[in-house]
Amino acid sequence: MIYDILERSLKLCSRYGFNEFEVYVVDNVSTEVLGSDKGVERVVSGEEFLVGVRVVMGRRVCVYGGMVSRVEDVDVLVSSASKIVKTLPEDREWVSLPKKLGSSVVEDVVDVGIKDLDLGRYVELVNYMVRKSGDVDRRAFTTDANIYLSYVRRVIANSYGGVVEDEKTKASVSVNVKVVDGGDESGYSESYSGSNLSRFNPDELITKAVEGAVRGLRSKRVTTGTYEVVLMPRVFTSLINSLIAPALCADQVQKGRSPLKGMLGLKVFSENITVVDDGTYPGMLGSRCFDDEGIPTKRKVLIDKGVLVGYLYDTYTANIESRESTGNAFRPTPHVTPKPWISNILVDRGSYELDMLVRELRNGLVVYDVIGMWLSNPVSGLLNATVANAVYVEGGEVKHPVKGVVITGDVYELLKTDEVVLTSNKEVLGRYEVPAIYIPKISVAGEG
Amino acid sequence: MTTTYEELASLALEEALKRGADHVLVRVQEKWYESITYDCGVLKSYSVGRVTGLGVKVLVSGGVGYVYTTSLNREGVLRSVEKALSIARSLNTYTKVGYVSIKPVKDSFKVSVRVDPYDVDPEVKVGLVKEVNTSSMRKDGIKSVITRLAYEVDKRYVTSSDGVSVESEVTLVGFSHTAVAKYGMVSERVSNSKTFVGGYEFIVSHDWLTFTDEVDTLAIKVSQAKTPTPGTYVAVLDNEAVGLLVHEAFGHASEGDLVITGSSVLRGLVGGRVASELISIVDEGVVDGGYPVPYDDEGVSKGRTVVVNEGVLNEFLSSRYVGSRLGRGSTGNARVQDITYDSIVRQTNYYVMPRDLSVDELFEGVSYGIYVVGRGASGGEVDPSIGTYTFSIGPSYIIKNSEPTELVRGVVVSGNILETLMSVDAVAKDLKVITNVFGGCGKDGQTVRVGFGGPHIRVRKLVVGGL
Repeated sequence: MIYDILERSLKLCSRYGFNEFEVYVVDNVSTEVLGSDKGVERVVSGEEFLVGVRVVMGRRVCVYGGMVSRVEDVDVLVSSASKIVKTLPEDREWVSLPKKLGSSVVEDVVDVGIKDLDLGRYVELVNYMVRKSGDVDRRAFTTDANIYLSYVRRVIANSYGGVVEDEKTKASVSVNVKVVDGGDESGYSESYSGSNLSRFNPDELITKAVEGAVRGLRSKRVTTGTYEVVLMPRVFTSLINSLIAPALCADQVQKGRSPLKGMLGLKVFSENITVVDDGTYPGMLGSRCFDDEGIPTKRKVLIDKGVLVGYLYDTYTANIESRESTGNAFRPTPHVTPKPWISNILVDRGSYELDMLVRELRNGLVVYDVIGMWLSNPVSGLLNATVANAVYVEGGEVKHPVKGVVITGDVYELLKTDEVVLTSNKEVLGRYEVPAIYIPKISVAGEG
Repeated sequence: MTTTYEELASLALEEALKRGADHVLVRVQEKWYESITYDCGVLKSYSVGRVTGLGVKVLVSGGVGYVYTTSLNREGVLRSVEKALSIARSLNTYTKVGYVSIKPVKDSFKVSVRVDPYDVDPEVKVGLVKEVNTSSMRKDGIKSVITRLAYEVDKRYVTSSDGVSVESEVTLVGFSHTAVAKYGMVSERVSNSKTFVGGYEFIVSHDWLTFTDEVDTLAIKVSQAKTPTPGTYVAVLDNEAVGLLVHEAFGHASEGDLVITGSSVLRGLVGGRVASELISIVDEGVVDGGYPVPYDDEGVSKGRTVVVNEGVLNEFLSSRYVGSRLGRGSTGNARVQDITYDSIVRQTNYYVMPRDLSVDELFEGVSYGIYVVGRGASGGEVDPSIGTYTFSIGPSYIIKNSEPTELVRGVVVSGNILETLMSVDAVAKDLKVITNVFGGCGKDGQTVRVGFGGPHIRVRKLVVGGL
């Protein structure tokens, strides 16, 4: 049906006399197995066809689309887009749709075990994750465990004659664990996501979740003040995703909503920080052959030893600067206008062992989890997050677990000093592969 | 909803029962969302999206399968029924799921709309957004503005094997504006939006230039403001801040699915004190200003649920399944984002009940504190298992000698919800509940529209982050 939808849409668009048009069709087959403390509770499954048409008349642009129930539904989508586009004002910054589509070779993006779904295997896996926590620590139990699997086929074509298609699988596994000890309780979650399940180890996931929950028992706040801090990979990932990734997107830069505007070629972070965006990296969640307007994905350095060397572009923002798209057009669903976003972010490892960093802390926090990092402000660079799982370290010794304090600071001040260092171990977390990071000074709001 | 959709739903229901289902629930949905965005004087996007499809949920000997399809034809529906039955049968060795029974109901609900936003000429809608956006861009100090107009029409039909047949149609329209101002090296953004339950008549009746002028002026002022000194403050929270706090930090913890899995700090506390006796909290399906949910997505009537009565925990929110595990009835809180999801327990319009003080009385006697203002807040996050919360609040004010005085930016508040609600020592009478067509509440990957709010309240102890 995916090609019937594409063909019919292209024919219709040709008849309406648009100057340019693009059709994007997605076929998404997904299955989710959901378990609670009682075991596997239900399975949710289905298939959806999503269509987006982008039509252009002069410099007037309209995106229209949604789910379709049958091939003929696209008639309404295209005719509606045609009616609307004529009434719109011109976008003076519009140049064109992509004139050449293409596809990169990306490995490990289709997991046959997900594509040819053996449901029983994944039901058993969720059941195992529900039961396993108590084996790791008798005080622990799983509150919920879920597996989400999908097989996605995409096809994009536009009026310049190009057609690209690909297929991809996605897997997301999550588990929440709670530990009850005496009158105290603590919870922790762990997750895995990627294009395949080759790196997924359920025992490792459960063990880490249980250890996190146990670590949080008898947590308390530290007093308000300035501390050294080690952000573990998932917290550093959250920081990049909330504050740095938006600032690297060309639309934000062009509209003056990025602190990195006008900083190309300048040192913006510690010389120990190198950041790469790579949509071709094998097997990660953001790995794919082309972006959401059919431009091949590629590897590009964004921060080189602390120096800003590039931004992320889709075709629209690239055209404004008369340059090539970096293959970073992103649409959460085909009927939404594309804009630049990350594919996979890789941060170079450092040379420090985590243990060594912790031993060298005089008065610091090792932060394993936060909540609310996404509430930070990428326009100002102001970081704000509440610590949900951490330990306080004094003179190199772990003193007690910490939660409920707020870490704050201007991320461009926090990460600028060369005293910021990274660990030699990295973790893959969805679209990110990052090490832990040491920051010499951060503001903490706690007691007093 | 068209007859065809109802016929397909009946087909799914009958086929599933015929093939051995113990219980069947069918949902059909058709939803339109239109959004017009102007960014710095340029039409950034005019996009329209449609969601349509059917989902069938079957229970066979305690196993549950839910399958959805966007193929709204006989073959697509029958295929979905077969798959749902197959899944349910394969699961009944793992768990036994039960449902509380409900009374049969047949009803329909439709929001009154005088001017259908779909019928308004796109040129008119675009013209309004353009005028406001370009006007803002001309102001000194403003570096960037995003203005949006959006509407949504969500039609749902729910039918079940125990006699439910309920349809609803809800229309929302809204206008939002985000301004970024720069002063020296500091860039700050301020956002505000208004959403109405109804048609385009609400857009026509408002002065949007005045609305956006207030946002722009505040952005300019806040870019010159300081961040608050980190620490613990006496705080007065406005209606929106109270709504956010209670929805995120308490509301999620009162959702029964988290309670039964031990993931809520409120587990085992029914009948116990969880807040100051000044605090009563309700979840109500239809309330002025909120998002109307007369029936949930299992077809259960959503009335008013008193969650906290004068500080004492009274009830958890539940669905038919969660209600059965809690040993209670459903409170009508089973909700879904769209047909590609199965329902989970969600809030509807969750708010603090007003009492009798004026807002001014809450500031009296506060020698040094903070007036926490929700407008423009980015949102919040909570760990419901331990009650920890954090919120990014909009531009707020330091209180000195009973008066809100100095504007502050970058305010983040955090704490433990039970400690915070226990330390409430004053509640005003100015109840306000709002909803938002530009966003909603996220849980388990699903976003649903909700209403939230309350009156102003005063808290003796609130942790505030800053530089």
